[in-house]
Amino acid sequence: MSLTLTGIGVTTGIALGKVHRLTPGELALPEYHLEAGAVDAEVERIRRAVKRGDEFLSGVLERVGQSGGETARELLEAHRLIMQDPLLMESACDRVREHRINAEWALAQQGESLQEEFRRLDDEYLALRREDLEQVVNLIQRELAEQPSALFSTQVPHRLDDTILVAGELTPADLTVLSQRRVAGLVTEHGGPWSHTAILARSLEIPMVVGVHHALELLTEGESVVLDGHYGAVLVNPDDNLRRHYSEKQASSRRHRSEMQRFLSLPSRTADDKSFSLFGNAELPIEFERCMQAGVSGIGLMRTEYLFLDGRLPDEETQYRAYSNALRAMGGRPVTIRTLDAGGDKLPDELALTRGPNPALGLRGLRLSLSVTDLFRDQLRAILRASTEGPVRILLPMLTTVEEIVQARQLIAECRESLRSEGLNIDPELPVGGMIETPAAALDVHNMATELDFLSIGTNDLIQYVLAIDRQDELVSYLYDPAHPGLVELLARCVEAGRERNLEVVVCGELAGDERTARMLLGLGVSRFSMPPTQVAAVKKSLVEASADRCRRIVTQFQSRGGRSGTDLLEQLRDEGGAR
Amino acid sequence: MKTVDIELVNRLGLHARAASKLVQTASRFESRVWLAHGDKRVNAKSIMGVLLLAAPCGTRLVLEVDGPDEEAAADTITALVADRFGEGE
Repeated sequence: MSLTLTGIGVTTGIALGKVHRLTPGELALPEYHLEAGAVDAEVERIRRAVKRGDEFLSGVLERVGQSGGETARELLEAHRLIMQDPLLMESACDRVREHRINAEWALAQQGESLQEEFRRLDDEYLALRREDLEQVVNLIQRELAEQPSALFSTQVPHRLDDTILVAGELTPADLTVLSQRRVAGLVTEHGGPWSHTAILARSLEIPMVVGVHHALELLTEGESVVLDGHYGAVLVNPDDNLRRHYSEKQASSRRHRSEMQRFLSLPSRTADDKSFSLFGNAELPIEFERCMQAGVSGIGLMRTEYLFLDGRLPDEETQYRAYSNALRAMGGRPVTIRTLDAGGDKLPDELALTRGPNPALGLRGLRLSLSVTDLFRDQLRAILRASTEGPVRILLPMLTTVEEIVQARQLIAECRESLRSEGLNIDPELPVGGMIETPAAALDVHNMATELDFLSIGTNDLIQYVLAIDRQDELVSYLYDPAHPGLVELLARCVEAGRERNLEVVVCGELAGDERTARMLLGLGVSRFSMPPTQVAAVKKSLVEASADRCRRIVTQFQSRGGRSGTDLLEQLRDEGGAR
Repeated sequence: MKTVDIELVNRLGLHARAASKLVQTASRFESRVWLAHGDKRVNAKSIMGVLLLAAPCGTRLVLEVDGPDEEAAADTITALVADRFGEGE
């Protein structure tokens, strides 16, 4: 008998495989043996991780400065001593050499063996040190996880290619391990589509369905299932027809993706030789890597909400680290960092007071940042400090009035001054742009532009606010039209404002990442598009094959004739917007 | 190689803060530095090694220093211990 379980699809994609129910402890750190030739490289991984860990600690120490108090300084100094202690690092390296095991495993073994020795001492003062030791070991493990060994995927004993993993819940760390083991798909009983884990699954492109109630009870070990990430469905024991249908669907989407890849190496010019630039949207380290592989010109949108989802607010240091890592990953290409764009509803309890009745129209984005300025200052300082690592642009989300920009700029200037007094010189010309995503901002864009260095059009929210529909609400989803004449007019207005003041206009969000609407934007005069790395190839294909001139004529005609349906416009662009 | 007998005279012996100071001081020298207590002998540049000696006040230790700057290292470390690691009591 076949059975279908439903949940919420997190990653669109299809996976076929056999059920494996996750047992506790199964996803501990990776442990594997090395070939003799790989030992030196593994030892080097430990040294590098320790070096980066030490840089991190000395960075914190520097920040703590005189203001942090003696206790904090002493603790950090002690952590540095532990980090460099030959009993930890050298002994872990010895374990790698002697037992030919990977860095994570060797470090965990050595950490455990030291813990054991401390336990035996049974001294009050030393009990404290055990906690410190654990923290230091975790810090090194984190550094190791950020730079996983290339060997891992081939050395690990059991790969999970044909496995659909079923679990109660998964952490982002679990997912990292599972992705290295090439898991086919994931099903969890708990968790929502906007959890850390879900966001990571999307960027790792692992098909995942969350919120499948009682999945562990209902699914049997070894049972064959199909996972449809688009519909959030888990089909149990599918018959041959169904299975064939899904494998064909999977194969054709893979084929399509690999055909797209060849466009990545082409120059970014339309068929009639107009140049355009493609940027990436990224938030997690893996996404920056993917963006580099896709050959983007930079990051058009670095979201920062991920840092705030942890249940507690990230301090300046944590943020600084994330931003400078991003800049380093992009190797000198510009990174546009958007300041926090969440409402109090998605944030830790510290911000409970900022929760209003309707999050979409409430205290969110820059509104929130301007009302909790301590939080905003931490973020701005972290961004400004990171700007010494590479070209940074600041993007302010959810603008409604010009006054908000003035206030934000004032805070940026204050943070720059305070950093200067701490001996750090920040470029006073560091570009500050605004996200045009409320109808008010789009209508008043000419005024907004006078206070901004670049414009970024956030099309997802703009569509939602302009059409007054909630995308999640099925009852009104029929009204969704990415080429609604009203929307097209607002977009045209933004492009014009940018041209008038000679400001760059970047389009982010769905419209830029969809090959159909990208041509509409091209027709409106947009030449900068920012999208998830997965979309770069398809959009590039659409634009490379397009005639900018023809697209412009089609869009202008649509506007002047009072076009009714956006669908017609998009079809016309698809059929006639290309080079002949 | 230089060997010196030292006695821990501070109230708490080689607890965390004192051990940190000792390791930081020893690490400034190029010479290799060991501390021995009974049958235990540890690298004095290793914070965990020193802590694992778990030496309380009144303990007699043997300090061994070997290297180009062994004289200076032995003197500095001995002075630090005699000064009760700067704890001032």
